[in-house]
Amino acid sequence: MNIQVNDRVVEVFSGAQVADALRAYSQVTWKQVQNGAKVVLDGAGHEVALDGALAEGSRLRVKRAARRGGRA
Amino acid sequence: MSRRAAVIRALLPLLALLAFSSCASLPPAAPAVPPAQESRVVIFHFNDVHGKIDGFPKVAALIDAERRRGSDVLVFCAGDNFTGNPVIDQYDPPGRPMLELLNRLGVDLMTPGNHEFDVGMENLRLFAAQARFPFVSVNIRPRPGNEIPNLYASRLLTTKSGVRIAVFGLIQIEPGNGLPSTHPDRVQGLRFSEPLATALEMKPLRRNADAFLALTHIGYEEDVKLAASMPELDAIIGGHSHTRVAPAETVNGVLVAQAGSDLRWLGRVELLVRGGRVAAKKGELIDVKGLAAEDPEVKAMVARFNDNPAFARVIATAPFAIEGKDALGSMMTDAMRAVHGLDVAFQNEGGIRLRRLDPAITLKDVYTLDPFGNQVVEIAMNAGEIRSLLRDSFEKGRELDLQVSGLSYTIRTDKELRILGIDLRGLDGRPLAEDRDYKVGVSSYVASSYRFAHRDPGRSLNATTAEALIRYLQDGADLSLYRDIQRAFQDPPGRNDRY
Repeated sequence: MNIQVNDRVVEVFSGAQVADALRAYSQVTWKQVQNGAKVVLDGAGHEVALDGALAEGSRLRVKRAARRGGRA
Repeated sequence: MSRRAAVIRALLPLLALLAFSSCASLPPAAPAVPPAQESRVVIFHFNDVHGKIDGFPKVAALIDAERRRGSDVLVFCAGDNFTGNPVIDQYDPPGRPMLELLNRLGVDLMTPGNHEFDVGMENLRLFAAQARFPFVSVNIRPRPGNEIPNLYASRLLTTKSGVRIAVFGLIQIEPGNGLPSTHPDRVQGLRFSEPLATALEMKPLRRNADAFLALTHIGYEEDVKLAASMPELDAIIGGHSHTRVAPAETVNGVLVAQAGSDLRWLGRVELLVRGGRVAAKKGELIDVKGLAAEDPEVKAMVARFNDNPAFARVIATAPFAIEGKDALGSMMTDAMRAVHGLDVAFQNEGGIRLRRLDPAITLKDVYTLDPFGNQVVEIAMNAGEIRSLLRDSFEKGRELDLQVSGLSYTIRTDKELRILGIDLRGLDGRPLAEDRDYKVGVSSYVASSYRFAHRDPGRSLNATTAEALIRYLQDGADLSLYRDIQRAFQDPPGRNDRY
């Protein structure tokens, strides 16, 4: 199945999860998400978990995680 | 068949009749709430808990507090209670902790998710029969004799203040095989219809209720499509995609809610019902970790379940300790190949997290050896594509990386560790046939992280590599094989210590 991650389409196996699409996209991005520096959003801008299910044509966007405990 | 299962099977026709009658005989349309009266209904919801039970004491305390305030409270579960926490998944009987916790919480309605089937049909039937709440799913169609107790297409709930809420359920199916994302063997005897098209058959429920909801396990994107095609709905409470919808969105006038996963959030949908219709609605997510109060009784239940005695149970005994990545990797890949009927299986060495397994092998040992929850992925590959995978695996660290079952291989290199060639040999020791495809199994980590040529994108077999090993061991695998065994070679020998 084809999944759009940021500006690129990656092909992953049927039944793949969000984590699989990220790994197929970029190992660097995958590690940034794993360590909490970045978060994954769906096409509508909602945060999705790494074990979330995907469907053909799903869209994901990776963005920098909000800073915790920063100044208001 | 156990006596308990036999009783359930005997009751199935009656339960099926009840399920049908619940769909077919809704009372005639009439607003239950007089026009002047206004009721506030609070629906707490969660989805995709996947055995992560530690948040239940806080969730129980919050829900009970809302009930004590006198609100009209309902609790919905949008599916996928199992698969994701081995301590819970391996409970005996499977699913028992989730059943007891959902019963204690006072869940009013649940829709089954694809992972509900992971425990097997007989265990799911036991779970459903002992649940003190009904299941709803309109697109699960059991064949005669395969009914699931307590499963209905829809339910009409009446709150204590008399508000009538019609709810139907939906489960996702894969476009390829038309089945939910679980192993096909686990849903034998069931048929599934396309969820969005089937949902349209539920439109008449609107006439008989003050509020009309869908409780789904089809994923957020499909929920949005459902909202677009069914403006009759007041709200969709969903699961499957693990989406954190905060606050709930309004799509085509329909509130769409989903509460992430793993019980990190609890959804709270509030409906203001006036004159037999929903006059206002909103949804939010509550951060479970941030809640202070805990229910002591539920806390004790969670502690008991987390101390799962099955985890320490010995599931196989080897004649000696199994040591080193060659032996452990050979055993793990043999398990994948045997359990899933594959020709070849690979396991990356980074996914082998023990150096030694003592002869008495427990469930805990298996999950320590293979803790990542990776799925088995099947890919049709020819010999050239297998070489492409091996090439990428070697070039990552200039050393052997993939353990294998079903063949052996030698990577020939020059002094600078540049690959000169890769020789593949079958189980008979002869060169692997070049002109055919092989059913190759790899972990989902390898499938998505390694860069290799393969015409077939592959498919998840909806089972983890650890589960394959557990089944292999429980089925009495010959563990005497796993000493002084080597199937991956480098010529000339590399710097791997091959411990």
